[in-house]
Amino acid sequence: MQRILFGILSMVSLALCLVFSIAYFLGKIKADRFKSGFLFASIAWFIFATLWATRTKKLSKT
Amino acid sequence: MAGKIAALASRLDQLYEFDREPVSLNKLQSGGKFAGLFAGEHVAATEFVIGAFFVLHGVTAKDLVFGLLFGNLLAVLSWTFVCAPIAVRTRLTLYWYLRKIAGPGLTVIYNIANAILYCILAGAMIAVSATAIGLVFKVETPSLSDVFPTSWGWVFITFALGAAFTAMAILGFEKLSKFAQVCSPWIFVVFLAGALAMLPKLGVHANFDNFWEVATTKVWNGIAAAGQDKLSFWHILFFAWFCNLAMHVGLSDLALFRYAKKWTYGLFSAFGMYPGHMLAWICSGIMVAAVGREMNPGLMAFEAAGFAGVAGVLLAGWTTANPTLYRAGLALQVITPNWPRWKITLAAGTLTTIISCFPIVFMKLLDYVAIYGLVLMPIGAIVFAEHWILPLLGIEQYRAEKYQWMINWRALAVWFGTLIICFFLPIHLYFRWLPGYLIALVAYVLLQAMKKNKN
Repeated sequence: MQRILFGILSMVSLALCLVFSIAYFLGKIKADRFKSGFLFASIAWFIFATLWATRTKKLSKT
Repeated sequence: MAGKIAALASRLDQLYEFDREPVSLNKLQSGGKFAGLFAGEHVAATEFVIGAFFVLHGVTAKDLVFGLLFGNLLAVLSWTFVCAPIAVRTRLTLYWYLRKIAGPGLTVIYNIANAILYCILAGAMIAVSATAIGLVFKVETPSLSDVFPTSWGWVFITFALGAAFTAMAILGFEKLSKFAQVCSPWIFVVFLAGALAMLPKLGVHANFDNFWEVATTKVWNGIAAAGQDKLSFWHILFFAWFCNLAMHVGLSDLALFRYAKKWTYGLFSAFGMYPGHMLAWICSGIMVAAVGREMNPGLMAFEAAGFAGVAGVLLAGWTTANPTLYRAGLALQVITPNWPRWKITLAAGTLTTIISCFPIVFMKLLDYVAIYGLVLMPIGAIVFAEHWILPLLGIEQYRAEKYQWMINWRALAVWFGTLIICFFLPIHLYFRWLPGYLIALVAYVLLQAMKKNKN
C-alpha cells in the first residue's frame, strides 16, 4: 500500500515540475514562482521516488 | 613479452569469470526492462553539450530534425540487426566472444584502449558539472577555443568535483547506481521544462503559432559561431548514428542483449534514442540559443530552471560519470596486479580528474565522440565477419580459441590498419567510420581466407 502511495506521489511531483514550466510558458505565473515551484516539486520527487524505489526493492527481495 | 601478456590475460579472465558462461534461458529479461534501461541511460550530462553544439555549428532546423530522425533510426537498426542477433545467438559478452576470435592478448589491448576512452568521457562529464558549480562561485567557464585550463578557479572546481565523484564511486558504486535510476526521469524533465521555460525569452507565442519561425531564425538559423565548422543534414545523421557506435556496431552491448529473449529487442533502443538523442538535444539547443549562444551548460540550466536546473547539470554529470569511472576501473584492473577495487577506482578517478580540467574534452566533445566510436569500430567488424561471413565462405571460425593463440595477429593488423587508413581518409571525421568498417570487414575476411588457402 505504501509502495503504491509513494509511487503516485512521486509521479505527481514529476508532473508538477512540468506543470510549473507549462504555466510559466503560458504566462500564468512569473519566473520566480516557476523556479521555486520547480525546485520544490523536484525535492518532492527525490523524496518520494527514493522511498518508492526502496519499497520496491524490499518487496522484490521478499 | 608473451609471458607477460599471458599473465595479464589470465588476470583479466579471473575478473570476468562470473560471466564466462552463456546466459541461461531462465535469466532472460522482458522487453520492458530493455526499454527502461535504454530510456534511463541516454539522458546524460553530455546531452547538454551535444544539442547546444549543433546550434553553434550552424545546423538548420530542417537538417536537425530530419538528421536526428534518420540518424537515430539507423542507430536503432544497428542495435537490432547487427548487435542483438549476435548477442542472442552467442549469449556471451563481447569480452568472451572476442577472446574466442582474437585471443586473450588482444582482449587485453582492447580493455586498455577502452579504459582510456572511458576516462576521457568521464572527464567530459565532470567538466560539464563544473560549469554548474562555477556559476555558483562565479568562476568563468572556458571558451570554445580553449584547450588548457583558463583559471585556477576552473582547475580547483574540476579537481574538487573529480575527487568527490571518485570518492563516492569508491564508497558505494551500487547505491549510487540505484540513485541514478531515481535521477534519470527527473533529468529528462529538466531538459523539457528548461526548454519550455526558455521559449518565451526567444519570442515564441503561447499558442506556438510562430515556433517554427523562431526555431529557424533564432535557434537553428544555419549560422555557425566563429571558429566552428558548419554542419549539414549528413553530419547530423551520421552523428546520431555513430554517437553510440562502440555499443551497437562495435558490439559492446552484447553484454546487454545476451539477456534478450529475441533479437528484435534491439528495437527497444528507440526508447533511449528518441527521448535522449533527439528531444534532449533539441531542448539543449533551445537553451543555448536563449543564453546568447554561450557554451555553458550550468548557465543554460540556471537561466532555464533556476537552482533545480543547476542541480540537474550537476546530477547528470555525477550519475553518468559514476558508472563510467567504474567501467574504466574494471578495464584498468588488467594492468594493476592484485590491487583492491578502491585503489583501481582511485587511479581511474585521478586520471579522469586530470583530464577534466582541460576544457578541450568538452569543447571538442562532438569530435571526441566520433573518435571514441572510430577506435573501437574495427573490433565490431572483426566479430561480425567471424560470426556471419566466415561460416558462409566455409572458413574455419574461432581459430584463436582452437589453436590457443595468444593474439590473432590478423585481427590486430586489421584493427590498427583500419585506424591508420581512417586517419588518412580525405573526408570529414564523422563519415570515416563507415568506409573504415567496410575496409575492416573485407580485410579480415581476406586475411582469414588466405590462411585457409595456405592450410
